[in-house]
Amino acid sequence: MKEGKVNKDTSKPNEAANSAKAPASKGAPKKFQMDLNKRNSLKGLVFVSPFIIGILAFFIYPICLSLRLSVGESVAIVGMKVQGFTVDNFVRAFVVDTTFLPTFATAVKQTLTQFPLTIVLSLIIAVLLNRDIKCRGLFRVIFFIPFLLGSGEVMQQLLNQGVDRSVLNVMDGRLIPYNVLSYFGDTIMEVVQNVMGMLVTVLWGSGVQILLFLSGLQSISPSLYEAAKIDGATEWEIFWKVTIPMISPMMLLNIVYTVVNSFTNISNPLLTYIQTYGFDKAEFAYGAAMGWIYFAFIGVLVGIIFAIMKGFIHTNEVEEVKKRERKHRVFTIEKAPKRTFD
Amino acid sequence: MLKIRWFRGQWLHITFARVLLYVVMIVLVCFTALPLVYLISTAFKPLDELFVYPPQFFVRNPTTANFSDLVVSLGSSTVPFTRYAFNSIVITTIIVLCTVIVSCMGAYSLVKLNPPGGKFLFNLILIALMFSAHVTKIPSYMVVNGLGLINTYGALILPNIAVAYNIFLIKQFMEQYPDELLEAARIDGAGEMRVFLQMVMPALKPATATLTVFSFVNNWNDYFSPLIYVTSQAMKTLPLALQTIGGGAAGMSVGRAGAVAAATFLMTAPTVIIFVIKQGQVMETMTYSGIKG
Repeated sequence: MKEGKVNKDTSKPNEAANSAKAPASKGAPKKFQMDLNKRNSLKGLVFVSPFIIGILAFFIYPICLSLRLSVGESVAIVGMKVQGFTVDNFVRAFVVDTTFLPTFATAVKQTLTQFPLTIVLSLIIAVLLNRDIKCRGLFRVIFFIPFLLGSGEVMQQLLNQGVDRSVLNVMDGRLIPYNVLSYFGDTIMEVVQNVMGMLVTVLWGSGVQILLFLSGLQSISPSLYEAAKIDGATEWEIFWKVTIPMISPMMLLNIVYTVVNSFTNISNPLLTYIQTYGFDKAEFAYGAAMGWIYFAFIGVLVGIIFAIMKGFIHTNEVEEVKKRERKHRVFTIEKAPKRTFD
Repeated sequence: MLKIRWFRGQWLHITFARVLLYVVMIVLVCFTALPLVYLISTAFKPLDELFVYPPQFFVRNPTTANFSDLVVSLGSSTVPFTRYAFNSIVITTIIVLCTVIVSCMGAYSLVKLNPPGGKFLFNLILIALMFSAHVTKIPSYMVVNGLGLINTYGALILPNIAVAYNIFLIKQFMEQYPDELLEAARIDGAGEMRVFLQMVMPALKPATATLTVFSFVNNWNDYFSPLIYVTSQAMKTLPLALQTIGGGAAGMSVGRAGAVAAATFLMTAPTVIIFVIKQGQVMETMTYSGIKG
């Protein structure tokens, strides 16, 4: 036990060396042994190390550099030499720059109107897809296709070629014939047009959400549904009392994903604005400062979402109890050898 | 409610709810499938149909001229289209393989082995989820430049392996894996590597399939990293090449519209194929191997 503490931080080769040395120095046949938890955590470190290295090099270090950049004065662009400490960049964003705040507001508004729609629509589609219908696989593939086309260049090309316009345009009489159209007034048509437009945009952006909801739905044990049915619950009651609570963790994941994704999407006006400063105008420091303001906002928003959702999230109590028991069990096993029965 | 005699003596029940379900599904599917239909039909449109206004959804006289045009127009330039495709395929394949391995190992360790600082690392991952990669692109460039990787495959591969979202996804699945199975395997004398490779990895198949699809699509469509890390034509990937063919960011050159449509079609095909292959696994639920959670 003592040796285990001494060798807490040594790596595996050392451990091997010690285990060879230990019997000789003590002269007893007792083998060196690390305690189970420590050995596990050491193994854990080995397993997670590739990820740590990657995230250190390409996330932590750049983040620190960008933070440093945002609060300093850039002395030389080459090599990015920074010195001093100022909040000028932050002040500039709020006070001097007249485009920053309006662009910010547009980006926020765009996200806040679209994410509830995306969540609700994708939940409905996922529930429908989870039912026993023909050609389920085909439906799933089709709903996922917009995501495959991607947020990238392909979609941009399609938009350039006017695919959204030709889809959205209900008025030109190709989707619905003119003589049907003439029965409705102009205002109704406008509403229909807007709804269709929204539907298409939301549907094209909800492939991932549908997929995540589906995997959540499929992990609900059928026995729960059976029990509910035997107790005489209707489909509607089952949906609200069984399905919704059971997929609430997925719901949280989905909401966070949707919000963050729409904020970090290339099509987001604010990001484009930040990028023009970062790349075209070479004002790295100001770009970094705006990036940090934006990030702080997202962080606060996600924090609020977490706080609100916490009350609704269903936790598996049985699993919690089991985990506690397991910890207890490990404890007793460790203690066991010290006891003597005479 | 209607009952129809189906083949093999089965009865087909047609209820109002079922009909409604199918109608809703088909309408939604029509909306969603439109971009793909448009994409495919555009690739086969002859030049005169490409510029019809308003744009037509379906092609009238299909032709493969666009594809030969793509090969010819790029055949004369120094870098052939196949080189771009080759770059994209090599880079994306390596990234996907590495990220699956790294994320699975990391998630396994974080969830089941409790390494020192694991909680901190997990919080870090949560924070990283909220970060846009674009904000840190310039400092990342400094790192890549410092490592001397500019204009190599390494510059396009290394920064995209340890991604917070990937490890988060696997972690969510890993939490459902019962500890009892791991304990049993350890008591039976399996080493950690063996537990990981033979017990955890097979059970994580749906998760890795999902990750494969996500990672493949993201990196295949990634426009930003090649734009920054690569300056030589020969190292460019398909998304960048697509824009080069189209005549730069400013606007599409009219003469190449057909070639662009064909290239877009060719670029989209692999992602759709990968998803169709993997979709069965992606949808599969975790196996509980007899132990209910």
